[in-house]
Amino acid sequence: MPEARMEAFMARIQRGEKVEAHDWMPEDYRLLLLRLIHMHAVSEIMGAYPEKEWVPKAPTLRRKMSLMAKVQDEIGHGQLLLRVAEDLAAPLGRNRIELMDDVITGRIKFHNVFHMEAPTWADAGIIGWLVDGAAIITQTALLDCSYAPYARVLKRICAEESFHMQHGESIILSLAEGESWQREMLQDALNRWWEAIMFFFGPPIVTDAARRMMEYRIRSRTNEELRQKFLTRYVPRIRSIGLEIPDSAIRFDEDAGLWRYTEPDWERWSRVVRDNTGPKSQERVALRRMAHQDQAWVREALVRARTAAAI
Amino acid sequence: MAMTQVEKDLVQEQAADTSYDVYEIFVQASDLDPHVHVGSVLAPSPEWALQLARENFLRRAEAVNVWAVRREDVHATPADPDWFAREFDRKYRDVSGYADNARRWKRFKAQAMNIDDVIADVRKE
Ligand SMILES: [Fe+2]
Ligand SMILES: [Fe+2]
Repeated sequence: MPEARMEAFMARIQRGEKVEAHDWMPEDYRLLLLRLIHMHAVSEIMGAYPEKEWVPKAPTLRRKMSLMAKVQDEIGHGQLLLRVAEDLAAPLGRNRIELMDDVITGRIKFHNVFHMEAPTWADAGIIGWLVDGAAIITQTALLDCSYAPYARVLKRICAEESFHMQHGESIILSLAEGESWQREMLQDALNRWWEAIMFFFGPPIVTDAARRMMEYRIRSRTNEELRQKFLTRYVPRIRSIGLEIPDSAIRFDEDAGLWRYTEPDWERWSRVVRDNTGPKSQERVALRRMAHQDQAWVREALVRARTAAAI
Repeated sequence: MAMTQVEKDLVQEQAADTSYDVYEIFVQASDLDPHVHVGSVLAPSPEWALQLARENFLRRAEAVNVWAVRREDVHATPADPDWFAREFDRKYRDVSGYADNARRWKRFKAQAMNIDDVIADVRKE
């Protein structure tokens, strides 16, 4: 009987049908999705930290406002995704509080790029342009996900990311049109971020979990396919504004139809993500913890107000 | 491994009944639009659900009204596709079922009408 249920589920997936939160699903499907969406949610929130640092320091009022809007969007993405994650986690007896606490206790990881420093305004530009650009590619690749609640939220997220894309381009274009020291600052920022962005897409090998996600139609593209799409879109644009890609091996191999590049240090970056040992990992987790602790009284007051109202 | 103070605080809060309710959010974009479901929020009260709905769903989109409905109060159809089964062809209910009208009007040297033309005509001063 359980096997028949599994077969019926896979047949639904094959037909391109979508799965809803209350539908029966294999435990494996639930856990793979939960891990993916939990990390996605937490990365949206932790991703706001390097950018929020630049809100008070942004060069003009308009830049401050647009950066603030973007930070609000990222936190909003985190909240939408947490809703999806907690509906998946509920049958496992886990709720929102626990999902967020996992950041503080280090049980959930967030993307490597958000462990990094953003020392100059050009870094803020590179984040908006290339980090969001990379994230947009991975997120649009999930729009056809077999799990409908995730696909619906991604649709809303991608609509807002289209603003992030323009916002990032606008910053780097201003710097590229600027004076030589501004272009140098931009080149330095690119040098700092390039390897991290290459790592962001994940290793080229298709892991067992990735293969299962493709069978379940949670995702349909491999890490390498997405990295190639990113390179095709961005390498020519990076070069067109006079920047040099800090990888002497990068070239398009016409015969293979593929970009060749120097592989990032998989070992080192994996450690950063796994052990929170990047230059800013500890500081940002500490900020998250502080926000959580400082607002404990608010959460308590809200619940007390509800209890009082019920009496 | 011994728990740190931070971990103890987290466990304590998790144990307390701080679980909020899920509210489904419906946004009405204009007076002439129906409320449309846009997603959900987790909130301790209906008032907070509305505040969070504004933060989450109305950072750009304009609206005239928002509903927050506790998820438990939503009654949905079963996941059974048979529930939506169409017993027979319903083209006779749709414009598409009358595609031949235009050709037939032509024989009488007159034009078929459609509702958009009528609306535009009635609105015209
Ligand atoms: Fe985002
Ligand atoms: Fe973004």
